[in-house]
Amino acid sequence: MNISPDKSTWFLFVQGDLNVFSSLFKGYYPSLHNYGLKISGDIELTEDCLQDFFIYLYEHRESLGEVNHIKSYLFISFRRAIFKKLKETRKFLSLEDTNEKAIKFQFSEAELAEQREFTSIQKSTLAMLLNNLSPREKEVVYLKYYSDLKTNEIAEIMNIGYQSVLNMLQKAFVKLRASTEDETIRAILKKS
Amino acid sequence: MEETNNTFLEKLLNDSSFKNWVYKTNKNDVVFWNHWIKNNPEEITTIYTAKSIVLGVSFNKTKVDEDLINNKLKDVLDKIQPSKHSNFKKNKTTSKIRKIQFLVATVAAVGILFVAINFFTDQHISYKTGFGETLDLKLADGTLVTLNGNSEISYEKDFPRAVHLKGEAYFKVKSLPATKAKFWVQTENLKVEVYGTHFNVSARDKKTDVLLDEGAIKLVLKGGERKQMIPGELVSFSEKQVIHQKINETLKYATWKNDTYIFNNMPLVEVLEYIENTYGFPFEFKNPASKSLLISGGIPNENLTICLSAIQKSVGVDIQITDDKLIIN
Repeated sequence: MNISPDKSTWFLFVQGDLNVFSSLFKGYYPSLHNYGLKISGDIELTEDCLQDFFIYLYEHRESLGEVNHIKSYLFISFRRAIFKKLKETRKFLSLEDTNEKAIKFQFSEAELAEQREFTSIQKSTLAMLLNNLSPREKEVVYLKYYSDLKTNEIAEIMNIGYQSVLNMLQKAFVKLRASTEDETIRAILKKS
Repeated sequence: MEETNNTFLEKLLNDSSFKNWVYKTNKNDVVFWNHWIKNNPEEITTIYTAKSIVLGVSFNKTKVDEDLINNKLKDVLDKIQPSKHSNFKKNKTTSKIRKIQFLVATVAAVGILFVAINFFTDQHISYKTGFGETLDLKLADGTLVTLNGNSEISYEKDFPRAVHLKGEAYFKVKSLPATKAKFWVQTENLKVEVYGTHFNVSARDKKTDVLLDEGAIKLVLKGGERKQMIPGELVSFSEKQVIHQKINETLKYATWKNDTYIFNNMPLVEVLEYIENTYGFPFEFKNPASKSLLISGGIPNENLTICLSAIQKSVGVDIQITDDKLIIN
């Protein structure tokens, strides 16, 4: 019999094992917290939403259906939860229609580690270039490289096709490469 | 058109051999892809986009304070189980999962060991780069070598400190004070002998240039003449002449390290010969007067587009890339 660690963990969670629930909570809280914050740009809203989300998961654990990959399942449902929450607050504040274009997704210099690609570019410049990508391109880049999700998982989470994820990655990196090349040349010419 | 490119991109992204080329983790894959790129120049944009996607953007993950998580967890547990959240069941399945994970890790480690053994049983070891590719190598003795485009380095497995070079490489030789073991670089027309030092060797077109950054080296020229070099010196050796000089503002020379070409008072025509050697693009001058324009300073060498744009901007000429050559207006 071949049972993945995710499947057996989820089985125990559905059984109501609070040890397993707690380790899921601790294990996924940081990445979901960061993802929610990236989407909403609002720490209080993110934390409230996360709390309600985990309570909802526990209370409805027996009717959630089959879960094979816990990480992508949590990202999919939490993304939905945070959009719902955003819609509610903005309706209440009577702001313009919330849609996915409203995603914040700002990257900061401090978030960028030593780069293997774009080595010659300053982190502040790279952060600026990342922030100039379209919201969906930013989300794809974030989910792939920050959250370490696979292309098919990203497709599920963002509710788009596998090919669309590839297209967005391609577009994002064509843009990044073109702009980093320009920036590198500009920097070098400035020096000499 | 975009459809085919996308399928090709997808194939590259799912190809473990392609990833080995990107990370330079497997000699055979590096050789294979460099060769492939050379023969399929029309795919170069997709190849480099795929490389960027594989390397990606590296992030520092923001840490969430552990106390905060524990407090939030306590709140949640209080809500879902108001009375008895300290009464957890111990579960035994965890240890079973650990065992499976351990088994998986062991299988993976054995696999890696097998690959490593395969990799090192070759007696004659050689690394080759295609046009426009560079390769970072760490030799068995700890010496670091960066091989420039269209270059080849080789050595016998038992003598990793005696290497043969065709083309250009930057060396950071690890000194071995205990044994005072020497390190040799043999080119077509001279031999460099060192203990531990940083230097660049370019052996192309029957000429070898050695530029010393750090330490001290000895050269044995073809014909037996010996030369001692100190840091900052350049030796340029060909059948016709031997130049041995300290580099200065007026001296004409070219070197390369950390993805940058460094040119000093180099005529454009010689810079383009340099580029032809590393990227494999011949060139043609529409206006012969441009040949003697002088270039000084660093030119980024990450890829051909960057390199050429920098040259265009620094000397104010227009360079067109056609299918098979560069045209300088």
